[in-house]
Amino acid sequence: MAVITIDGVKLNVPEGANVLDLALENGIYIPHLCHHKDLNPLGSCRMCIVELEGQEGVVTSCTLKAKDGMVIRTKSDEINRLRMLALELLLAGHPEDCSTCPKYGNCELQMLIQYIGPKTGRLKMRVKGFKENSENPLLVHDMNRCVLCGRCVRACNELRGVKVLNYHKKGMETYVGTLHDKLLADADCRFCQACAEVCPTGTIRDKLATTEKQKEDYVVPCKAECPAHAEIPRYLRAVKNGNMDQAIAIIREKLPIPRILGYICTQACANQCKRSCLSDPMSIRLIKRYAADKDIEKKWRAKSKQLPDTGKKVCVVGAGPAGLSAAYYLRKQGHDVTIKEAMPTAGGTTAYGIPAYRLPRDVIAGEVKIIEEQGVKIECGVKVTKPAELLNEYDAVLMAVGGTVGVRLGMPGNDLPGVLLNADFLRDCAMGKETGMGKHVIVLGGGNVAFDCARSAVRLGAESVHLACLEAREKMTADDEEIEQAQEEGIVVHPAMTFERITGEDHVTGVDFMKVKAFYFDENRRAVIEKEEGSELHLEGDTVIFATGQKPDLNEDSGFKLFRGAWIVVNDNTNDKQTSIPGIFAAGDCVYGTKSVVMAVQSGREAASQIDRYLGGDGDISEVLADDKPGDPYIGVIEGFAYEKACSPKIDPASERKDNFRLFDHGICDEDICKEAGRCLQCDLRLQIHRPHTWGDFAESKEA
Amino acid sequence: MSAYANAKALGRDAVLEKIKAMNLYEAGVYREKMIDHIQKAQEAAAEEGADMCAVAALNNADTDMVFLELVRQAPDKILAGAAIAAIASGAGKAVLMLPEKEGELADSLKEKAAEYGVEVVNEFLNIRQNQTNLLVHIASCADLADAFSGSYEPGIYAAVNGAALKKVPADKKVSEIVDVSAAKAVQVGYAYYTPQECDAEVGALNPANGIIRVLTEKDCIVDNAAKATLACKAQSCGKCVFCREGLIQLEFMQSETTKGRGKMEFLDLTKEIGEAMGFSTPCSMGQQCARISLSAMGKFASEYEAHIKKKTCPAGVCQAFVMIYVDPAVCTGCGDCLDVCPKGCIEGKPKFIHMIDEFECDRCGKCVEACEEECIHITTGKVPKLPDRLTKVGKFKKKRH
Repeated sequence: MAVITIDGVKLNVPEGANVLDLALENGIYIPHLCHHKDLNPLGSCRMCIVELEGQEGVVTSCTLKAKDGMVIRTKSDEINRLRMLALELLLAGHPEDCSTCPKYGNCELQMLIQYIGPKTGRLKMRVKGFKENSENPLLVHDMNRCVLCGRCVRACNELRGVKVLNYHKKGMETYVGTLHDKLLADADCRFCQACAEVCPTGTIRDKLATTEKQKEDYVVPCKAECPAHAEIPRYLRAVKNGNMDQAIAIIREKLPIPRILGYICTQACANQCKRSCLSDPMSIRLIKRYAADKDIEKKWRAKSKQLPDTGKKVCVVGAGPAGLSAAYYLRKQGHDVTIKEAMPTAGGTTAYGIPAYRLPRDVIAGEVKIIEEQGVKIECGVKVTKPAELLNEYDAVLMAVGGTVGVRLGMPGNDLPGVLLNADFLRDCAMGKETGMGKHVIVLGGGNVAFDCARSAVRLGAESVHLACLEAREKMTADDEEIEQAQEEGIVVHPAMTFERITGEDHVTGVDFMKVKAFYFDENRRAVIEKEEGSELHLEGDTVIFATGQKPDLNEDSGFKLFRGAWIVVNDNTNDKQTSIPGIFAAGDCVYGTKSVVMAVQSGREAASQIDRYLGGDGDISEVLADDKPGDPYIGVIEGFAYEKACSPKIDPASERKDNFRLFDHGICDEDICKEAGRCLQCDLRLQIHRPHTWGDFAESKEA
Repeated sequence: MSAYANAKALGRDAVLEKIKAMNLYEAGVYREKMIDHIQKAQEAAAEEGADMCAVAALNNADTDMVFLELVRQAPDKILAGAAIAAIASGAGKAVLMLPEKEGELADSLKEKAAEYGVEVVNEFLNIRQNQTNLLVHIASCADLADAFSGSYEPGIYAAVNGAALKKVPADKKVSEIVDVSAAKAVQVGYAYYTPQECDAEVGALNPANGIIRVLTEKDCIVDNAAKATLACKAQSCGKCVFCREGLIQLEFMQSETTKGRGKMEFLDLTKEIGEAMGFSTPCSMGQQCARISLSAMGKFASEYEAHIKKKTCPAGVCQAFVMIYVDPAVCTGCGDCLDVCPKGCIEGKPKFIHMIDEFECDRCGKCVEACEEECIHITTGKVPKLPDRLTKVGKFKKKRH
């Protein structure tokens, strides 16, 4: 330890510590620009100069190491004069257009000007004349704004070990760039974006930066997009490092049914994956599936939370993803939880909606078992008709009944024999019951459920299966791979069609369609459909399956205030899921309509937290299951990294999969998983980098 | 090989002993006793606990690079010297660092360098990365090799007035080495000196880049300083604010002055920036290059005043102050000048007095050579009254009256 004095303040500090960092940490502001806490000191900008007692002249505090007895002065006329000169020299080559700069308000140089004062205008100003470069994905470079602080160079070389950025000279101007001005992708950039993170000015900027979102959200969009905000880059990194136990623990901190999600998650996260700006997005779902399949249940089991019993009883109606999730966390909070499920087994939509070829039934059983092991009681085959009466026995009730009734569109012939509803069809199919399907099937709808119907029909032996929907091909909500695989299985997809009528006298004979010219929502949010003249199309078939939405099996008798006669109204979709009946909450599809399993999980989590608070708990359902190790910032060089394509899962050919309900997607193999997980840009590593100290921070704290 | 073999045979302690006994000096900007130089480097390395490496190089600020002659003429000497420096300091290895543009020279040395265990690289010396290394000047390497082959003669290498490098005694006065009788200034190393200052010893003024050069009445100090600073600006790696931006400002002020756009404020500003560069930059690039402008403006202020206030270049070098004109009394209107003008800035037709457009003219002087009547003059002084429109030969003077 050493005692040093800065501006009369005595500090006990470790011998040899960085004086600038020490001052900043102790509330003494010293202006600085090239220095960054996470980078090696450079001492090139001369902003952080101080005077040292017993030594003539000034020294840069960023390169000064604390020694016992040091007496440091951070302010004097001479220091001010030299700082001003340094600032003037810096600004001589910097554009004077702060107000139009995208970094306005967040620029460290701007804050230095505010602190040191405006320049005198006695120096020769120049325009460097570089062209703004937006040819690279994710990052924009405007070298005119660069003050050559070298932070990006140090971040790229020393912190990350990627060694892409360096100083170069063009004519008389020094600039930062790649060797021979190659594109970042061709220079083997890892697109970790540390350069943009440490850049004090508007020189290296995020293309995706927006004032409409929190920084964490646009920096790590996958996590932001996941309804449960799973720590995606973190578990991808664990998988890449071969640490599946850690990976599943990270996943389980947010997702109580990770294995189910590993098979069928709609992965909105991957749509936002920044990797897709370079090559294919990360196969996030398949990596999660791999980790979940390899779950040895060690790390997370050891840290799993279970609060002591509270004596409160909760009934959850419905054992689907929302109900299971809510029940699991409510139990962990110490409540006595019973799930009442109408069907013979738990799983809800995942068991009676999603076909077994996508989600094997033992996967569901395994997830349910873990939840039961936590102490949740599941009563199957119990249909709750009067939810309000449950309050006689339970302290709180959660309605998580999902959307189990198919929607029949209003059109001629919609109730002819041979017309089936998605929910009924898939449920019967899942239970091995007679579905009433004929030989020639026409599915109406373009979502994943429609494809579940169509592909199940193929597997049940339909001779022809057509699928038609209103949306154009690129607007269809089904996953692309669903559509492609369905076509491989012989399903004919007809996008952009209006359903005119179902033909037939006493049984379905087919459907009349017309081609859609335009489909949009007007200013009143009403759907407007323009049809193409003379585009009538008739498809023959003996079975029509409506796959145009589902709704909860509820009516006014339930006692709830309902929306459009079926969906339960809650006080606030996110923050207060209590229904019109106090003590009864609702979550999942029965509140907001058919969305995704992961959204139901998150809805269940939120409900659990709110019910816990309702029952007197603190509502904190969070858990730390994984080791809290920060990611290794030194990511190193990988040749051709930007161009790496996604590893394909092993998928059985159509001929082998179309006549049975066996799982056909075998996921990413052991050999490829590390490579696939290693493609992640690790956008989250950026957030480990310290936010720089600016004068503003100190000014505010002084006023307060 | 003998110098290196001798040093190797002696062993480190004896090598250090000999360096001390022979009173060898580190050449270049650090001019100090070699034994002290080595000791300082060892202390720096010890403090950081870093592995030391002996790096032989030119000073970063050296834009003339006359010392590369030593490498070209006697590569063995330089390589042996670098290897001996490594032995003396106990460094793990020796590196010969040549300027980035000298790729061919480096390639030609590589085979030989391997024999001495010296690595040859083309790099601009990064002072921050070499803080714990022993930096020795290439000229010091020559001295070290000479010392261990028995051919050492004391002195400082200098290229006097553009001649080849030779040793001059450090205690000799500069005025004894060059004739200062007709000198306006003498450049020694990175600074200009008045003839009076040249009574100092060579060692004190230290021609760190090997240059001792007399500037006469025909040389313009401003033009010299502008060109030298431009060369520095081109060579600076640009990583440090004061070196990069400072040289840009200094060069701007020098060259503006040569172009007749100088301001008296430049003198103070040059002093402020130049002095700050001296202690605000980590290597010789900023520290030494600032001295060019500082010494020129500080000691030869009258030259600058002439450029700035009187709008004239006393040496007649700065072309902004030079005028070329056709003497209207002598011109015969032959058109020879018009034919040779590369800029097409001479107006005239047969039997009319020709006129030169002073804004377009770049003072190349071709017309002066072409004129058989010798009526085109170059001057820095006053220009007589000239016609402002095409005038018949012989009519101009009459018109005036």
